[in-house]
Amino acid sequence: MNEKNSNSMARVERYYQDYGLRARELKEEGKRFIGYFCSFVPVEIINAAGFFPFRLRGDVHEPITKGDTQLETIACPFMRSCFDLSLKGMYDFCEGLVIPHACDSMTRTYSVWRYSLGLPYSHFINIPHGVSEPALEFFKAELNTFRKSLGRYAGRDIPDGDLVEAIELYNKNRKKARALYELRKADPPLISGSEASRVLTVAMSLPVTEANALFDDVLAALRDREVSPLQKAPRIMVDGACIDNIDVFKLIEDSGANVVADNLCIGTRDYWLHVSTEGDPMDALSRRYLDKLNCPRTYRDKVGETYEEDLESRFGTMGALSREFKVDGVILYVYKYCDPFGFEVPARKAYLDSLNIPVLYLEDEYSAGTIGRLRTRIQAFLEMIG
Amino acid sequence: MNVYAVGIDIGSAFSKGVIIDDRKVLWSSVTPSRGDYKLTGNNLRDELLTRTGLSPKDIGFIVATGSGAKTVGFADAVRTDISCHAKGIYSLFPSVRTIVDIGDLYSKAFRIDENGNLLRFLLSGKCAGGSARVLKVIAKVLQVKIEDLGALSLKSNKRVDFNTNCAVFAESEAVCRIAEGAAKEDLLAGIHRALAAQLNGLAERVGVKKDYAVAGGGAKDEGLVRALEEVTGYPIIVPPEPQLTAALGAAIMAREAVKL
Repeated sequence: MNEKNSNSMARVERYYQDYGLRARELKEEGKRFIGYFCSFVPVEIINAAGFFPFRLRGDVHEPITKGDTQLETIACPFMRSCFDLSLKGMYDFCEGLVIPHACDSMTRTYSVWRYSLGLPYSHFINIPHGVSEPALEFFKAELNTFRKSLGRYAGRDIPDGDLVEAIELYNKNRKKARALYELRKADPPLISGSEASRVLTVAMSLPVTEANALFDDVLAALRDREVSPLQKAPRIMVDGACIDNIDVFKLIEDSGANVVADNLCIGTRDYWLHVSTEGDPMDALSRRYLDKLNCPRTYRDKVGETYEEDLESRFGTMGALSREFKVDGVILYVYKYCDPFGFEVPARKAYLDSLNIPVLYLEDEYSAGTIGRLRTRIQAFLEMIG
Repeated sequence: MNVYAVGIDIGSAFSKGVIIDDRKVLWSSVTPSRGDYKLTGNNLRDELLTRTGLSPKDIGFIVATGSGAKTVGFADAVRTDISCHAKGIYSLFPSVRTIVDIGDLYSKAFRIDENGNLLRFLLSGKCAGGSARVLKVIAKVLQVKIEDLGALSLKSNKRVDFNTNCAVFAESEAVCRIAEGAAKEDLLAGIHRALAAQLNGLAERVGVKKDYAVAGGGAKDEGLVRALEEVTGYPIIVPPEPQLTAALGAAIMAREAVKL
């Protein structure tokens, strides 16, 4: 492994441990950051407006203290952790915040975020819950509102050319992330799930050009690996919402499995889908973020006559991933009070059952304190499928 | 010949050890875990050896299980108590397909197939609600010995209904009912019914199929087992020593390892 390449993994580790480190450095140089979370925020628009989108992250090792003075514990614990860190000043380099109408916890707490943080720029993106043509039309209008609002804040209209350029940059970014996934198809995979997740998470805290360069370095470092450092073991896919701390992947891997694929936000949900570069860029963005993005917060009208056909139309992407990565089992990992995923647990399990893929459902609180309790369940699951 | 196999199960309340040869159980032991799991494990091993007149070199393989399994430094392998219970109960009752383990810390429900393979499992939540801990809490409130709970509960003919599934709230609810003049046996019958309903709910989520067996310390409470029979409508199989089934399963796994 050459020096530059081994450095890239060390850099990932540093950016992961000190999340926002690079953003703070760039802020000193006068660069401007807009914070966001969730897969539904079109980062291309933020980028085209001349800001760097920065994905807010929680910390399972940091007890939620300040945050709980303003949010009740019925809100999703992941979001409460992000809010807690924001109140504690961890993301002070962000001058703005964009929250989408994704789940209940985001929608109902937007005003709390807005008034508690008091940032110069805040915006809520309204997203319809269906994917019909009128819904797409509405969503496109909402994205235009966002584009105008951010342009006003930036003091300049966002030209189509800049938007197209940003779309191309992010498509490149997704292509590189996908190349990382390719290395996980080997048995044993060339990169562990926790390592991969660390790279994917860190990439969302960097300007997209820097993230792209980092992906290149990491890919080069991994291709230097002639032999995988991992052992052959059951191949696990993790399904769920946003996992931005690698602890759960580490736990699965320490219990004797390889995490080879995911159906998660900081994962295939974010990185798998390109924005079409044909036709109107706003059309392309609305289709990519509303229609193509597969998240339970969006209602998909029943397709077909039977429950099985309905499940296939809703979860087919998960089935395709499980085949592509030859997974032996799925761990469905959901935070307490996660409304979109919580309601879908039985249907997701039924779908995986229909594919004869063993599934373990774990409900967790966003806290490193629950690791022991999860370990027993994961070990038993691996003993069962092993 | 080191043909003997040992299973050690370090639970949160009790620890258990079983030593077997290629046919039968030679000795078994149940002891409180107390604070020091490592010491408890060592004592169990020593007791098994002393009682059978064997020496460490006679033991072919040792499997540890239970929440404290990792502390058993002398074990050759560690397996979860879910797999071990399944193994142990299947060896005793091959007709069993649904098992509910009523432990001190958690309760667990699991399904096994006709070959004893684990199909599905589910653990109760992270708190003590739905575990045998609630029986300890009530025994203390009522000043009844835990081993007498079952017989007393069976005397009830006017069950008090409990509204909570929480071990902490069950205590305060019990205190309220005592203040209202409820009899001990009626309170107990109510607690048993509430716990049985929770345990069966766990079992139904993994899919109940006959035969239905219980294990773990809670299974020694006949009042609870009767309540579970009423709730499920099934006869429930209770192993002769329900606390020992995971240790037995661990010992059988150890024996399989010797044979390999």
